[in-house]
Amino acid sequence: MDIAYYPGCSLKASSALYDVQSRRVFEGLGIYLKEIPDWNCCGATSAGKVDDFLAMAMPARNLGIAEATGLAEMVIPCSACYSRTLVAQNRLEKDPVLKDTINAELSRKVGGGIKVSSILEVLLTAVASGDVAKSIRVDKKTLKGFKPACYYGCLQTRFPEAVPVPDDVENPQGMEKVLKALGIQALDWSYKTDCCGASAAVTDADASDALMARIMKDAVARGANCFVVTCPMCQLNLDAYQDRLGPKHGIRERLPVYFITEILGLAMGMGVEELQIDRHLTDATTLLKELELI
Amino acid sequence: MTVPAHAYDPEAARSLIVEVSERSGQNLLACYQCRRCAAGCPVGEETGYVTPDRLIRMIALGDRQAALENELVWRCVSCYTCGTRCPNDIQTARITETLKKMAKEAHLEPLRPKIADFHSAFLESGVRWGRANEMEFMGIYEVKGALRSMKKKDFKSIAEELKTQADLGLSMFKRKRMHMGLQVSAGRKEIQRLQKKASQKKR
Ligand code: SF4
Ligand code: SF4
Repeated sequence: MDIAYYPGCSLKASSALYDVQSRRVFEGLGIYLKEIPDWNCCGATSAGKVDDFLAMAMPARNLGIAEATGLAEMVIPCSACYSRTLVAQNRLEKDPVLKDTINAELSRKVGGGIKVSSILEVLLTAVASGDVAKSIRVDKKTLKGFKPACYYGCLQTRFPEAVPVPDDVENPQGMEKVLKALGIQALDWSYKTDCCGASAAVTDADASDALMARIMKDAVARGANCFVVTCPMCQLNLDAYQDRLGPKHGIRERLPVYFITEILGLAMGMGVEELQIDRHLTDATTLLKELELI
Repeated sequence: MTVPAHAYDPEAARSLIVEVSERSGQNLLACYQCRRCAAGCPVGEETGYVTPDRLIRMIALGDRQAALENELVWRCVSCYTCGTRCPNDIQTARITETLKKMAKEAHLEPLRPKIADFHSAFLESGVRWGRANEMEFMGIYEVKGALRSMKKKDFKSIAEELKTQADLGLSMFKRKRMHMGLQVSAGRKEIQRLQKKASQKKR
């Protein structure tokens, strides 16, 4: 099956590993990601804080390009890009004047109709069809050693305006279901939808370190041996700043922060280098050795 | 924590609440001060006495200066927790985002200039190239910060900032998480034309 794919800026830079893994893992599930041509930045959360019009116009252009591919669905792995694009699609549907204003300058116009999906929505269809379970190539016992705290962050389930939310807002279960199909039991914990601070990690370190410390402490207290995430911003923050916030907040433990595609890829028998897990900033290979996955 | 009294000016109150409601798309008048938003706000410990409900109250009372210059406006991380839980569907993140823009239009120095710099540097990079280039916008962001500290002769914070960013940069470089090439999209022309048209309309 072909599906339109919007990678977004971070999957072409600091989180390029997520782009590589997503393509490989989806291919293993028989889903082919077709990157839409000449896409642009969605504006992320910054646009909403600086320029409301651009916050709609930037994702709108990508929607027009995606529709022109003729594919029925577009997957967006980054939570911020997913959120901005879904919100813009909804707004344009309700506001024909805004839609016309934006369409006037676009070579590929927004009509409406393409389904914008998060990475979990697409993975869950592969769980339902049994393709995820069928793709497992390693001894299932090794996978049972993962004790993950699934971390969703903000933008998978909370939106600035009313859009159809595909998962439970306060207690989403999408990642847990995907992991269950691999025989992995995720932990129940309290901070799965709390905020990591996003860009505040750079601009307001005290605030974001306090947020991440709460997330870390609960995960550790529940006995987690790793995080599993879908958002590249959450991944980079939790991955890059454990050594900064740990000493400040009395946290000695360090937890690897895996993308869901890394766990899927490992279960499919892919290696650390193939999945680029060696690009993590917090050690992510020791646990895999302990579990005898590598 | 003591909450300062805000003066009530009926005329100012009406115009302020109408302006913020219209621009943010939120019905501030629906707020009945139940503080469900405040209970879940993750930056509550960083923003002093200003919680989402109190920000709305300041606006309802017409205290423009307090509404434009407070910690929540700048330190709100747009997590949308308050709005998702508000029984009246008031999304305070949209209100803080609106107040940031209003503060800028009123030529007020942002209470947290680094936060303002970051978001403008990010968006400008996205519009200039069609794609946000991390190395470029982070560079601009750092330079803006350094220039500001230099004006204040605050060399210590320049040194500290440089060290933190250099440490992080080095570990990211080692792990191949830094991308040196420039990302561009030819479609940036379309975005730039739209931006120009919108700003002409505003004037
Ligand atoms: S939850 Fe909504 S109604 Fe209650 S105080 Fe907050 S903004 Fe007002
Ligand atoms: S969106 Fe802002 S005000 Fe609302 S809960 Fe999050 S940080 Fe607090």
